[in-house]
Amino acid sequence: MNKSLKMILVLTIITVISGVVLSYWDNFTRPIINEHKTSKLNKLILEILPENNSIEEMKLGEYNLYVGKKDGEIVGIAFKAEGGGYSDIISLIVGMSPDFSKITSLKILSQVETPGLGTKIVDDPSNENPTWFTDQFKNLKIDPEIIYVKNAKPTKENEIQAITGATISSKSVVNLLNTNISKVKKLYIEK
Amino acid sequence: MSKKKVTLIQEFLKGIWKENPILISLLGLCPTLAVTVSAENGLAMGLAATFVVISSSIIVSMLRKIIPSEVRIASFIVIIATFVTIADRFLAAYFPDISSSLGPFIPLIIVNCMILGRQEAFASKNGIGRSFLDAFGVGLGFTLVLVLLGTIRELFGSGTIFGIQVMWDSFHPWAVMILPPGAFLALGLMIGASNWLNELGEKK
Amino acid sequence: MEEKSKIETAKPKKKDPRAMLQKLNRKPFLLKSSPHLQSEYSIEKIMRGVILALLPTTIFGVIIFGWHALFMILVGIFTCVLTELLFNLISGKKFKLTDGTSVITGLLLVLTLPPSFPISGVILGSVVAIFLGKMIFGGLGYNVFNPALLGRAFLQASYPVKMTTWILPNYAEADAITGATPLGLLKFENIFTSIKPLILGNIGGTIGETSAILILLGGIFLLVKKYADWRIPLSYIGTVFILGGIFWLIDPTQYPNPIFHVFAGGLMLGAFFMATDMVTSPVTNKGSWIFGIGAGIVLITIRLFGGLPEGVMYSILFMNGFVPLINRYTQPKTFGRLKNE
Repeated sequence: MNKSLKMILVLTIITVISGVVLSYWDNFTRPIINEHKTSKLNKLILEILPENNSIEEMKLGEYNLYVGKKDGEIVGIAFKAEGGGYSDIISLIVGMSPDFSKITSLKILSQVETPGLGTKIVDDPSNENPTWFTDQFKNLKIDPEIIYVKNAKPTKENEIQAITGATISSKSVVNLLNTNISKVKKLYIEK
Repeated sequence: MSKKKVTLIQEFLKGIWKENPILISLLGLCPTLAVTVSAENGLAMGLAATFVVISSSIIVSMLRKIIPSEVRIASFIVIIATFVTIADRFLAAYFPDISSSLGPFIPLIIVNCMILGRQEAFASKNGIGRSFLDAFGVGLGFTLVLVLLGTIRELFGSGTIFGIQVMWDSFHPWAVMILPPGAFLALGLMIGASNWLNELGEKK
Repeated sequence: MEEKSKIETAKPKKKDPRAMLQKLNRKPFLLKSSPHLQSEYSIEKIMRGVILALLPTTIFGVIIFGWHALFMILVGIFTCVLTELLFNLISGKKFKLTDGTSVITGLLLVLTLPPSFPISGVILGSVVAIFLGKMIFGGLGYNVFNPALLGRAFLQASYPVKMTTWILPNYAEADAITGATPLGLLKFENIFTSIKPLILGNIGGTIGETSAILILLGGIFLLVKKYADWRIPLSYIGTVFILGGIFWLIDPTQYPNPIFHVFAGGLMLGAFFMATDMVTSPVTNKGSWIFGIGAGIVLITIRLFGGLPEGVMYSILFMNGFVPLINRYTQPKTFGRLKNE
């Protein structure tokens, strides 16, 4: 047999077999993986928008909006946002009131901030309430924008307290919210 | 091709200590350093790599007389990639938490030179039985080092082993151990210790 | 190799004549490689001088921060000496009790820690400083990085919160509300601290860095005694002053004035006592200038544009890494060699 013909033949056969095996394997695992993904997302959105009985997905620009409805009336809107933190991307999901006047809830999906310092945006073991940082965003007014204060209790309705020693991580979350909320708000009102 | 008389048991054992892929050949360091923030991650990574190296060694050894030498690297990579994808999807389907904490490092097993190295240096020249033992030994050596490294880093960096609290309560975890510098430090000390042990063994 | 020869020059004279005779009896000819010059400086003598120079600021630190600071200092020194002894025992090396370098490493390490730092952390840092910073490289003379700073870097990465928790000195000014360091106040709150407290030392900071004037006193003692190369502190502090001054002239509201830069934080301590470490600084005069200027540039970059308020530690460690390279490219011409050879 011709040498180059053999090369082509062998490589093609290997590739074809590999493709067939993988497509069967994919068929088998894809539904399970998708189930994990949707159940995780659903659980999250349920936490973000608790008082709803149906969730509608809506595409708006680069964002996926999840609109929570109760008896046909919109009770909340949630969307995912990502942006730079102290060391890498912080990804979070935020729930808004239907008129975009305030944040109803905030959840950090993933972050790789400095352990023990920046990670306090998710979990602060030194506090009685380990999630105090994200809890501050509940019912936080976003008008005109969120402001963070240091080493002091927030006094205004659009203020939160930054984490001592992790100002940059705190600032990143606030900036991330400010830019993304205003973008989504604009897109949403235009619609 | 290996004309030297190497017993089957030696074929298996050499990958664990004498030719350990990490401690001696320094292969596959990227996943070694990146994923070993905990013993569990190290174990998952090690097992995934072991599965890939064993399966592809068997297939490559089976096909070693059919694959023309001009396209052997391409064929090896396709075979390795197939098994890596299987392992990746398997983890994503049944162990979603581990899969998400290992991130891109499971797909990156494809370019782990330890695995390609075994195909090129061993499986393509030896029978199925020997190739299996060789791959099993190398995979086991890889896994052991990863678990050990993960355990050390988790113990000092989080105070736990496999998620179970082992350090006393007032122990302040050394955050540096679960950061990248801790990986380099711990691996460097491990390699140093293994060389030291080898020297001690030679002296005796 | 340069470091090695430098240390050998500094080897003490054989003190015990009987031991010398015994050696001579065994070997009729004492063969030794160059250099054959004997210097009036010995490691022990220099180290005693450095400890003496550090005493004022150490005592001041204990006075203003209390007994815990003293305890930290003692534990740090003890752990460092013990680690060296243990390592020498285990590795089967001949060991002297100590040549004083471990004492200095322990002292310097603790002087750069916050006064409320836990004792377990001091022990960890000291072990890391001696074991990873010195012994693993082959002991004194072979280490690339300043051991005390290496130990501190390990602690900084391990305990980021505790390394930035400050307490107020015992006799702080009435208007001081938190123990935050002047550089921390500047970076995170945009508060400028006036120069007087920086010089006197009644400010928040690590145990040994608060009083610029006492450190300066010790530093000048070192320079006069020629235990440290004057070029390094001069070029280091000078670069910080000039670069800081340039930024201050550009925008005085955003950048602090250069005098603040010189007196704030650990610059004084670092420039006189850590950057001048004989093992980890260049051996040539030209190299010393390059070393100091480089460290100054790194420091200003971190202080003004980095995420951290202070960068003395990283600036010195960073330049430590370049020392072999600097030594190599600043070799003076061998005597008798032609110009273009």
